[in-house]
Amino acid sequence: MSTPKGSVLVVGGGIAGVQAALDLADSGFYVHLVEKSAAIGGSMSQLDKTFPTNDCSACILSPKLVECGRHLNINLLTLSEVLSIDGEPGSFKVKVRQNPRYVDVDKCIACGNCAEKCPKKVPNEFDLGLGTRKAIYLRYPQAVPLKYAIDPEHCIYLKKPGRCGFCEKECPAGAINFKDTPREHDIEVGSVILALGFKPFDPSRLDFTGYGQFKNVVTSMEFERLLSPSGPCLGHMERPSDHQEPRKIAWLQCVGSRDINKACHGYCSSVCCMYAIKQAVIAREHSESGDVDATIFFMDMRTHGKGFEAYYDRAREEGINFHRARVHTVLPAGNDNLKLRFTGEDGKLREDEFELVVLSVGLETDPQVMRLAHQLGIHLDSDSFAETTCFQPVETSRKGIFVCGALAEPKDIPQSVMEASAAALEAERILYPARWTETRKKEFPPERDVHAEPPRIGVFVCSCGINIASVVDVQAVTDYAWTLPGVVLAQNNLFTCSQDTINQMADIIKKENLNRVVVASCTPRTHEPLFQETLREAGINKFLFEMANIRDQDSWVHQNDPEAATIKAMDLVRMAVAKVRGDDPLPYNSVTVTKSALVIGAGVAGMTAALSLADQGFPVTLVERKDRLGGHGRKFFRTWQGQEIQPYLEELVDMVESNEKIDVCLGSTIQEVSGSVGQFKTRLSNGKEIEHGVAIVAVGAESYKPREGRWNFLYGKNPAVHTLLELDQKFIKGEIDAKNLNQAVFIHCVGSRVPERPYCSRVCCTHAIDQAIHLKETNPEMDIFMLYRDIRTYGKREHLYQKARALGIIFIRYDLDNIPRVTEENGRLRIEVKDPIIDADVTLHPDLLVLASAVRPRDDVGELSKLFKCAMSSDGFLLEAHMKLRPVDFATDGVYLAGLCHYPKPVEETIAQAKAAASRAGLVLSRDAVPAESITAVVNLQKCTGCSVCTKVCAYHAVNMDPNTGKAAVDTGLCKGCGACVAGCRSDAITLKNLGNEQIMAAVEAAMDDIQAGQGL
Amino acid sequence: MTTANERITQELRQRARQLLESGQVAAFVGYTSGSMPMVMQPFVARTPEETDRLEWNSFCVLNLANYLPALLKSLEPPRRPGDPPPEGPLPKVGVVATGCWSRNMVVQIQENQVQRERLVIIGISSRGMVDRKKVLGLVGHADVTSVKEDDNSLLVKGPGLEQEINRWDVIRDNCACCVHPDPVIFDHMIGDLKGERKLGERFKQVEEIENMSVQARWEWFTSEIDSCIRCYACRNACPLCYCPTCFVDDSRPQWVGKSIEPVDTAIFHIIRAYHCAGRCTDCGSCESACPMGIRMRILTKKLQKDVLELYGTEAGMSLDTPLPLSTYKLDDPQDFVLTESLKGEKK
Amino acid sequence: MSDIAKKQAEWQPKIIAFLCNWCSYAGADLAGVSRYQYPPSLRIVRVPCSGRVSANMILDALRSGADGVLVSGCHPGDCHYISGNYYARRRFAVLKRFLEFVGIEPDRVNFSWISASEGEQFAEVATEVTERVKKLGPARHLVKEF
Repeated sequence: MSTPKGSVLVVGGGIAGVQAALDLADSGFYVHLVEKSAAIGGSMSQLDKTFPTNDCSACILSPKLVECGRHLNINLLTLSEVLSIDGEPGSFKVKVRQNPRYVDVDKCIACGNCAEKCPKKVPNEFDLGLGTRKAIYLRYPQAVPLKYAIDPEHCIYLKKPGRCGFCEKECPAGAINFKDTPREHDIEVGSVILALGFKPFDPSRLDFTGYGQFKNVVTSMEFERLLSPSGPCLGHMERPSDHQEPRKIAWLQCVGSRDINKACHGYCSSVCCMYAIKQAVIAREHSESGDVDATIFFMDMRTHGKGFEAYYDRAREEGINFHRARVHTVLPAGNDNLKLRFTGEDGKLREDEFELVVLSVGLETDPQVMRLAHQLGIHLDSDSFAETTCFQPVETSRKGIFVCGALAEPKDIPQSVMEASAAALEAERILYPARWTETRKKEFPPERDVHAEPPRIGVFVCSCGINIASVVDVQAVTDYAWTLPGVVLAQNNLFTCSQDTINQMADIIKKENLNRVVVASCTPRTHEPLFQETLREAGINKFLFEMANIRDQDSWVHQNDPEAATIKAMDLVRMAVAKVRGDDPLPYNSVTVTKSALVIGAGVAGMTAALSLADQGFPVTLVERKDRLGGHGRKFFRTWQGQEIQPYLEELVDMVESNEKIDVCLGSTIQEVSGSVGQFKTRLSNGKEIEHGVAIVAVGAESYKPREGRWNFLYGKNPAVHTLLELDQKFIKGEIDAKNLNQAVFIHCVGSRVPERPYCSRVCCTHAIDQAIHLKETNPEMDIFMLYRDIRTYGKREHLYQKARALGIIFIRYDLDNIPRVTEENGRLRIEVKDPIIDADVTLHPDLLVLASAVRPRDDVGELSKLFKCAMSSDGFLLEAHMKLRPVDFATDGVYLAGLCHYPKPVEETIAQAKAAASRAGLVLSRDAVPAESITAVVNLQKCTGCSVCTKVCAYHAVNMDPNTGKAAVDTGLCKGCGACVAGCRSDAITLKNLGNEQIMAAVEAAMDDIQAGQGL
Repeated sequence: MTTANERITQELRQRARQLLESGQVAAFVGYTSGSMPMVMQPFVARTPEETDRLEWNSFCVLNLANYLPALLKSLEPPRRPGDPPPEGPLPKVGVVATGCWSRNMVVQIQENQVQRERLVIIGISSRGMVDRKKVLGLVGHADVTSVKEDDNSLLVKGPGLEQEINRWDVIRDNCACCVHPDPVIFDHMIGDLKGERKLGERFKQVEEIENMSVQARWEWFTSEIDSCIRCYACRNACPLCYCPTCFVDDSRPQWVGKSIEPVDTAIFHIIRAYHCAGRCTDCGSCESACPMGIRMRILTKKLQKDVLELYGTEAGMSLDTPLPLSTYKLDDPQDFVLTESLKGEKK
Repeated sequence: MSDIAKKQAEWQPKIIAFLCNWCSYAGADLAGVSRYQYPPSLRIVRVPCSGRVSANMILDALRSGADGVLVSGCHPGDCHYISGNYYARRRFAVLKRFLEFVGIEPDRVNFSWISASEGEQFAEVATEVTERVKKLGPARHLVKEF
């Protein structure tokens, strides 16, 4: 292959696509991100809160979207679709059609005047039709790009030119372009990532749900919008029929999932159990009456992810009702209520009335996506998800094209984010020789040294068309700014952010020798980077800048009080001037990167991560405490898809051993770690000192062995009792003579989901069922019983469960009050268990008893986490930086995690996570230096008492006691500039650069000054 | 018959002598009598002979923890900035500690101001100390030339004065409401541990003020501090006020004016007290040191009460309990947060 | 309306609002984007985190003449800096009770959690705090006359 292209196409602007794009663009590749709607954000932007942390979805997503929208190396193609992809890995030719927006994105300032005047109301698809929007619209308030679009389906002008056109008249920026036309882009890329997401199942296909017939039956996605503060009822939970708050709500699980008959979807959608619990919890929180009766009707409660089981436990404690029953009819009742008919586990028919019914709809592939997949030659499986294998979890059937997110299988956000990074890694593996060949880099002139100069402040007051000027007297504010100390220039601009004003600002800074700038306009959250860049272009340090937010926080919120708004604008300008006067130029900190990695643990995760980096040319030290490679994976027989694990593992071991970039250190552990991202120094138990830029922790976990206690079941006492892994060993070695077994019993949840280990081990249901199938297929005469609490064969693994039932394997549910009793009679096992369906005890006499025992964290991860300053969750697993959006990063920069040390997971997820960790590590390793925070804490040694409060409140371990001085010392490589230490210090001995007490006080005191008579007003 | 304090004095001298003779400590901090009755002076014994001057009575009011950091520092070999810390064990100091003093030392240890391994602590379970100002009040501020103590009474003498006073009538406010008389860390005890005191009205002084109207509280506060001359005796007596540059002396930023205008005085007292939040062990040194009789202890007592109510911790009770303002729990109380209380109101 | 009532209605207090950059400041922006109206009394000071706000800063605002103070951060669990708001919560809980103890009216000093998506809540809180401070009248207790 000749040199590959240095760019990648990412299709789909949901969280998976955005993550893949950011990973790639930040590690040296140019990305074209194609999104079919007018804004990126995908399904996640429609959610109210996310489980299990109850984080506000938009809040945590927004920064990623903004970053994506602003990225110099991401070409955002909204309203676009892929027409064709030709070529091969390293060199694809892509045709993309971009539909007209009819709004010039370079001119639109998102003031919303157009939408306010637009006479055409249409159902808002973002709210799933529950609310309305105008024909010219923003997809949602935090949309990226924050630009309006005209919906040609509904625009009066576009349908009948000459009519309407109000938006064009109202737009202060002249951004409306009715003559916009579709454009075709020919794009050359080296690789493609498909992140096309899912579509919520449409339950109108299922009459029994009453959806479409009764107003108060809604889907879960609709309910998210009803809960959302930006939704149709502004976060006041209302039911559709009468806009009253529902006091009794039912959730119906598995609507369009685990249903071969009516919905034709045999798979489990994986996320619905958790989102239903979350919705029930949030509904009760949102409720203004404070009294919502929430009931979830389910078959198996599948809370198999990290922190999920604890969330389920808490929901039950808080009084959410869980009914193990399948609802078969939803009937109308008085008062727009609904009557549910359902059969409980005991077989009795019951009825109950609810004010609102939420259908927990499953995830399916959009037919349009199916067509696209077909066009692109991507195989879909029988469930219409992209076909992948356990060993290649993000590879599609077409080489060089990768997949991530719900397109491959229904999954939650962290799993999608993980796969997005893994897909980015796969693209990088092909394209690494072309890193940084197509990316752009901004160059700035050298900066003027302004230290000795008295402040020469320029103030630019923006009218924002009429957004500010229609309320605030901008001329008066500008005149007032002239009077402030240090101000040598003040001017008013129509649009301060327009390209010509920006250029002019740079000229003025140079001509007037300004050394500090204040812009009074909109919010720094969106515009500060733009103006700061202008300062740099004019040769001024970007930290000599402040903004006064006189639009979002003034003119827009005081529309009826122009006089007060003008006074407030003057105050805000005075505060900004007072603050900027004290600003110092700050260094653009960076840390030189040692371009090599340390990977700890040589199981599947560690080896995969090591190879993923070594294949891109980065040297890796792979440390393993045992004396051979392979880890926990040595014990497994096969994946749930049936691929044998041992041959795969051997291949992996060979690849690691023969890779000259990988230095394997067996029988070694980590003794000491110093430094931070880019420059770590680690000492091993064998005395070796390693310098590395990043570290990946993949130390695995252990299998719980129930040697005593209530989960013992004669394990270690009767030779017929095995754990899952022990049976796998027998399968591998061919030591099981299934033909001579009459009966086998599997007990699930041995040591999981109990007070001492209150989490679900995620893998055991699938593993146990697969083993049972293997036995049954070898000896169809054998009786096999599965004693379970909930069957958690999530995603496509559900097919195994269906297969097991079809083969005649018998499932008996038990609960914690009725744990199976295992005894011995003359060496023969006897098991008694209560079958809740027949409500009677069953006695079994198996020749084989298999315990699906828990995956437990290793005891020594605590020490390792301390060495790398990483957090641990209460379960004893390692804790990632953010459960939702940073699933493989630690809060400590430059350290990543993968595999079982994070949480129990099957091999396909371990591989994806290891690749994701390698991708994240690549962000650091691909650069010569990584930027570090400029606004960092500094210690005044004269004032420091060494009391160490600062070290205790620092979440990043960036402040430590210097043993030589006995005083605090800041590691600027770790400091994030939050200021917790500053507020904690009684002695004023630690401060934040440009955000010190003195400067904040200057702003506060300026706020209280009165505007002198004769000034301004 | 000897009094309890006399017995303590004897044993204290013995212990201190032993420590100095054996070389276990380089100095021993205790009290000796001063020239004025009812005013004891902190005293550092550096030779076995000097231990005979040590004394223990009901007027040992200033917290000896206050002297430890400087004394320990003075015993270290001299170092220039940048020199590595000295190797090997450093000289130790012996010190007497009652309940509140020992808790104070715990906080000092937690805040790295002293090192546990450099202290040899002689614990005394406190019987409570006497408030000299209360005694003077009872005798009508007459001249007092001598005070003789018994276990339960004081015999106060002066020109034309001889009055017996019940000791428990003139106990210091902080001692009267003390529930932890026992030292929490010590190497040797003199006498037995007494155990926790059960006290119904531990925060009575605070509660009385809490029950006033907000306006009345402001009036109480301003009148209480009205006489303040900003001499900083309270600050200087406090072992936990150890900043090299106190906020009152700082000019960048200037948190508080240096005048004795009411606003400046009020802000001084608010910040001084708040800086002790979660750290103060109610040793009462501030109040004892105040020449103007300001009861600033009530401020720190209030903070102690709230921290206990909110977070269930008291300063210095153990070396392992983190200081309450440098730690948190996920479910800390937050009814004071407006958005939370509004939520509550809606329900 | 009585003269006093009229004067109170006209009088617009000045309230210093320390808002964390990641949640509450963004919530204030969203209030603007959504055009929720609230009284023009707030003077917003953007800080990185509610954990950056010290007791001294709040006292300084009062000393400088603020009629009220609002500190707002991310909801517990949402802190951009992991735990800043948890430390802030303790610091403020203790401070608020203490200021009330020395006679500062409870409604002068306020705290709230407002997320980036709670524009309407921000407007509500701004209105509520303004109303409460208005009822108290101008602050006098800790105001330093310069």
